[in-house]
Amino acid sequence: MISPPILQKYGPQLTSHSKQIDQAIANKGQQDSLAAAPLRVLLIDDLPERAALVEQGLSDAAIVHTANQVHGRALLDLIAEIQPDVIIVDCYSPGRDSIESLRTVAQNNPKPIVMFVEEENPSGFQQAIDAGVSAYVVDGLTPKRVKPVIDVAIARFKVMDGLRTELKKTKDDLAARKVIEKAKGMLMHKRGMTEDEAFAAMRTMSQERGSPMKDIAENVISILGLLEG
Amino acid sequence: MNQHNLAIGFARLSDCAVLTVAKERGLFEKYNLNVTLKRYKSWAAMRDGLANKVIDAANMLAPMVVASAAGISPYPEIFTSSFAFNLNGNAITVSNALFQSMQHISPDTMLRRPLSAHGLKHVVDVRKATGQPKLVFAHVYHYSMHAYILKYWLASAGIDPDQDVELVVIPPSQMVDSLRAGQIDGYCVGEPWNNTAVLAGLGHTLITSSEIWSGHIEKVLAVRHSWANQHEDIHLALIKALLEAAVWVDSPNNRLTAAQMIASAEYVDAPLDEIVSSLTGKNRQTGGNLRQDMPDFNVFHRYAANFPWISQAKWILTQMVRWGQLTDDVEFDAAASSAFQPEIYRKAAAELNIAAPTINEKVEGAQEHAWVLKEATQPIAMGANQFIDGRVFNPAEINSYLNGFSNSSASRASEASKTDIEVQLN
Repeated sequence: MISPPILQKYGPQLTSHSKQIDQAIANKGQQDSLAAAPLRVLLIDDLPERAALVEQGLSDAAIVHTANQVHGRALLDLIAEIQPDVIIVDCYSPGRDSIESLRTVAQNNPKPIVMFVEEENPSGFQQAIDAGVSAYVVDGLTPKRVKPVIDVAIARFKVMDGLRTELKKTKDDLAARKVIEKAKGMLMHKRGMTEDEAFAAMRTMSQERGSPMKDIAENVISILGLLEG
Repeated sequence: MNQHNLAIGFARLSDCAVLTVAKERGLFEKYNLNVTLKRYKSWAAMRDGLANKVIDAANMLAPMVVASAAGISPYPEIFTSSFAFNLNGNAITVSNALFQSMQHISPDTMLRRPLSAHGLKHVVDVRKATGQPKLVFAHVYHYSMHAYILKYWLASAGIDPDQDVELVVIPPSQMVDSLRAGQIDGYCVGEPWNNTAVLAGLGHTLITSSEIWSGHIEKVLAVRHSWANQHEDIHLALIKALLEAAVWVDSPNNRLTAAQMIASAEYVDAPLDEIVSSLTGKNRQTGGNLRQDMPDFNVFHRYAANFPWISQAKWILTQMVRWGQLTDDVEFDAAASSAFQPEIYRKAAAELNIAAPTINEKVEGAQEHAWVLKEATQPIAMGANQFIDGRVFNPAEINSYLNGFSNSSASRASEASKTDIEVQLN
């Protein structure tokens, strides 16, 4: 359910669809998973016809929050409070810059984004997938297509997000190994430790402080570098 | 001769003056260009439009081009620029309430000009000590001069922009409404959105971006590398049309007419009295309530303003590293010279017999007064080029410049635990 404060705060712009939740619950037999956790969708679109179409297409499957004329900080607050499973946004919405900043500033917890594009050349927009946009809806949207598009977007987002996390971890591991090797070398060279001693010293510091080996190694490098001038 | 059709994107800002004038004074036609201007409400949409060939060029934030050149998603290594639209032109405005608490808590620092952020630092400290929420400041995009200028100013007074305040992104034309609604305490934005708040009695402009870094690049003509390679002649013609427009706009005699042009509904769509002070530089608020003439508030041509200095692209890269948007292993030379391509500018300038620098880089922040650039096809009168904290950026010494900032996302991560490790090692 939608939390009351947000309704009070953004009352006129926000439509809740509790009726649909009731329906979902009523249909429990067939749609068990949906009733347990209905999809939360945030729709940012100034075109009422298209918004109605999306709501129609999702009527049994999701709670749709429609947020028009909500911008900047209010929009970010709204996203934080609703925690949508997916954001649907018009590509010309002024809110896009704020939504993108969510990814860059608070890299935790990015959301799948579906974007309406009405351009002559929409195919190229696939490139924006890296910016967190997981699917595009071009002209000719029908209620029937809405749900599949969103399902695909969420699925694709999960794959991309998984890949990104994995890639980042691999890169980080590699970088960490390099730094630790260098710090070890400096401890051996400048402090006369054996390789095992150097490694053990850093591991102890890491455990005592609860900070990663890489951070310890970086500090060892900068301190030993400083001391030797 | 056949006319070439071009679509160019812009936003509702005084920065669109050169584009507007080129269009309204028929300069595009003069160079056989049939230009359609397309107004965008978000930088993301403009960027997508340019990358996906909806438009051919854009009046874009210089750091967006640099971000692309540095390989940042979503369009790595797609954009480039050979023409800068303007220098300076942004300002920092705060709500009346915040201005009053700055005056109340730190009256003496509020008298300094340019206004340092030390008064704000006191407010931040008091709020922290008394358990009040962080102040919220807005800028227009995560890769923008607004973001870097705002963070530079805050950090120069010891305010950590990542931790001591909350930063949010809001499109320029919605800044004033957000301030009015009390959703934010202040912002850094281009005109007319500072002056609008001041005239409406909603806030006070504390400092202009030219007082934080005089002579900083602002908007550039962004194009796709592939387009520039395929359409060299059209690109050159476009730059020549814009150069002619820039010369015209930059003349003080034409600024009022230019202001009238951009105020109209299809461009900035704002009342003339809100726009006029940014273009004329007359009667500008700074320092919270001082009114003064700032002829260099917006610079459209003089001081080699249209030249895309590689050194300024490098400065932008340093700030991306400083604030954790890039790692310091970025290839500064390669990224900066992919972002800005001065050679094409030189060609256009030469054909118009306009003086152009013969060097690509200069030391930034080292000119307290007006000076003469001699490394140019003809000597060029330049304006002051100074940072508020007196720092000098020598593009040949990027590492030492970056190491000089104690306040950065990059250094903060390791500073925390360094001290006690030092104890243990010794």
